[in-house]
Amino acid sequence: MPVFGKQDAQTTAARAPLLEGPGTEAWELKNAEILQLSFEVVEGPAEWLVPPALHPSIPPYATFSVARFPVSPVGPFMLTQVRLVVRAGIRPRGYLLAAYTDSEQTAAQLRSRWGFTVGVGKIILQARHDRVIGQVAREEQTILNIELENPEQISGADVTYLDSLHLARVTENGKETPLIVQIDPEYVFHSAHRGAPHLISLQADAWGGNGKLHCTNPMHATFCRCDTDLPKIRFVMNPLVPATQGSRRVAA
Amino acid sequence: MKFGIFYELSVPRPWDKEAERKVYLNALEQVRLADELGFDQVWAVEHHFLEEYSHCSAPELFLTACAMQTKNIHVGHGIVICVPEFNHPIRIAERAAVLDILSGGRLEFGTGRSATWTELGGFRANPDETKKSWDEFVHCIPKMWMQERFSYEGRYFSMPSRAVLPKPYQKPHPPMWVAVTSPGTELDAADRGIGSLGVTFTSFAEQEAKVKEYRRRIQNCNPVGGFVNNQVNTVNFLYCHGDTETGTKVGMRMIQHFNYLAAQLDMAKEAYPTKSYPSAGLLPSLRRQASSPGEVAKAPEGIAVGNPAHLVNELKKWEACGVDRVNFLLNAAEIIPQEQVLNSLRLFAKEVMPAFVESQPAQVAVGGGR
Repeated sequence: MPVFGKQDAQTTAARAPLLEGPGTEAWELKNAEILQLSFEVVEGPAEWLVPPALHPSIPPYATFSVARFPVSPVGPFMLTQVRLVVRAGIRPRGYLLAAYTDSEQTAAQLRSRWGFTVGVGKIILQARHDRVIGQVAREEQTILNIELENPEQISGADVTYLDSLHLARVTENGKETPLIVQIDPEYVFHSAHRGAPHLISLQADAWGGNGKLHCTNPMHATFCRCDTDLPKIRFVMNPLVPATQGSRRVAA
Repeated sequence: MKFGIFYELSVPRPWDKEAERKVYLNALEQVRLADELGFDQVWAVEHHFLEEYSHCSAPELFLTACAMQTKNIHVGHGIVICVPEFNHPIRIAERAAVLDILSGGRLEFGTGRSATWTELGGFRANPDETKKSWDEFVHCIPKMWMQERFSYEGRYFSMPSRAVLPKPYQKPHPPMWVAVTSPGTELDAADRGIGSLGVTFTSFAEQEAKVKEYRRRIQNCNPVGGFVNNQVNTVNFLYCHGDTETGTKVGMRMIQHFNYLAAQLDMAKEAYPTKSYPSAGLLPSLRRQASSPGEVAKAPEGIAVGNPAHLVNELKKWEACGVDRVNFLLNAAEIIPQEQVLNSLRLFAKEVMPAFVESQPAQVAVGGGR
């Protein structure tokens, strides 16, 4: 059997956001811009960042994204995420380690509706002729600085964005329960570019790395303009048992 | 229609001292029995770094052992990775020729390019380039075999005039194949006059359409080798048992376990955006829709698990699609005990194979080969 995650999900979940319930309404997010980089990570330590329900992929890798959403029900906002790529049973997914957005109001919505582990920071996304730059600062300190270098146009059909998994707390029958919720947006691509990924700086502990997130082999970088969404939550799973046994549907 | 067997050599954890040896020895015992029972080909993959899923990184050695322990069964590279970071084409030609000699002319030479980031990234190969390097290799390797001396200036390798030795036992050279994973590769096979070696699972309708177009295109091919190998192989699982319920239950458990292991790997399409890999790779049927993380992989249609009558029925459908040969995966991570695997092979040979004896013979190589 493939290696399961070794995270102490109970302890981690105690710090996870409290979800109002899985019945949130979807947000439409038109004209989004998303910069995403992927890097392989050192496998042994990374296993401790993944709940026992999930397998780290072979080899494990992390995705770093910086996104601008100019249109949303709460107005324009920025969102950055660091995720570890895992398998929920046979499904490839990105397990969220941490996220940052640019206002406390948006952060509160993202926490309570979709279980984002999200803080507030200053976020920059700049597309230039020869590179796309993504930067995140918290309390005047840069915690992520990434670049896509030498963008070349590709088809949006060649881009794979993995669905996300968020560890959250949910109140069910008067009792707080840790759950992993699946966020599976749809994408309609207007343009897509690919380039060389550069991880200029990363403060891994600001992203829930806990000394266990070490990037190694660069994989790829993409920059896409697309329409997307934050959809209704359709599936949740118990973080402590294999996803094939502990998953259930909560919406059509 | 004919039948072969196909090995990934999957090794379950824990990987203690005997784990891998046991898988290899079990496979060799199965190959010896398959040879006695009349299976006509054994194929072995080339995979690297694919934890549990496949520990078959040196197939030429495994296939040599197979050849040395059998009399008639053909030994197939399913496939050799034609990417320079993995294999230099001269070494591919040399090793394959030696295997053909040692096996007494029983080599089937399958080619391909890897479908996972796990492997491509491991060798730091560029996924954008693999189809092009494959194309260059399949054009050059038969010339290395057929010409006394060979020289070349190309994009992925160059060499001054040298005699690439030894030459294969089969003249002009062993039958050539390409692994078909991505849509359209069967057409690449047809255009080059080489066999289509299906290594993913398709529906009957999809397979029938592919075979039809392959047969049409190969009529006007520009062969890369000394002859046209007009053959279509496909892959399947095999678990044959007298009791329907037992056969289906055990067979489905194997399929689900195999799919589960395959799903853990980083497919090229997932990990690196490129038009070079339009499909998800080993198990495209699993990845079509975002859906429940609790879902287990469903068996594709036409799977050969169950009782002999059911197997005859399903395999007749593949035959009707125009498939020349079905190659079977017999186990996954040793989930089926060895004695049961051997019994499944015996029952298949006794009660299923005879139903295909009167069938049209498989398409054969034209203008040479066997």
